Amino acid sequence: MKRAAALALLAALSACTTVAPYQRGYLARPDMALGADPGTTRALDKTFDAKEAARGGASVGGGGCGCN
Amino acid sequence: MRKLLLALTLLMPPAALAVAPGALAPDVKAPQLRQPGQVLALKSLRGNVVYVDFWASWCVPCRLSMPTLDTLYRKYGERGFRVVGVNKDVAGDDIDRFLNRVNVTFILLADKDDAIAKAFDVQAMPSGYLVDRKGIVRFVHHGFTELTARDLAKEIEGLLKDPA
Repeated sequence: MKRAAALALLAALSACTTVAPYQRGYLARPDMALGADPGTTRALDKTFDAKEAARGGASVGGGGCGCN
Repeated sequence: MRKLLLALTLLMPPAALAVAPGALAPDVKAPQLRQPGQVLALKSLRGNVVYVDFWASWCVPCRLSMPTLDTLYRKYGERGFRVVGVNKDVAGDDIDRFLNRVNVTFILLADKDDAIAKAFDVQAMPSGYLVDRKGIVRFVHHGFTELTARDLAKEIEGLLKDPA
């Protein structure tokens, strides 16, 4: 029981936080993309969207607008 | 143990309540972007039909919504329709660059401390809240497409028919 409480406490102390949709200005910058080469990543994403007729699941969808 | 769980629960961030149709529009005030030193209170627009739009230069659909809202404002402005664009950019240069490409004539507000976005509990960008003449939020739009523009025009026309 104490171990479970300690784990819960550790989870509560996590530094992770949710970024509100209106606070994604910095995340929308091309240099904040997860890929090492933002240009290539964008081109591949666009190809994927066109071929699969689907989008989403990327780090920040739709240029960071949080609306997709 | 119970005390520990209670403490953990209290440490969790409170869930904000999103503004939904039927709710009174939050009474917020903020400095105007293009008139430095002038503060606008949303309440001062009571008696008009007001569309509060949250936008940013990095928000892709805003490139469609902003000129569309300006067209609606020019069309219905004389009948008492107002648009309040609340900006969510982090850099002033980005705002200027965007407005040089997409010039709009309606009121623009700064929201540096996120007070307005938090008051409305904005869930997506862009988000728009159509408020009637009595200050009640009647329609909420998340995202913006050509379909939104069509619906919005009908909603505005309907609300403008209601007396103040």
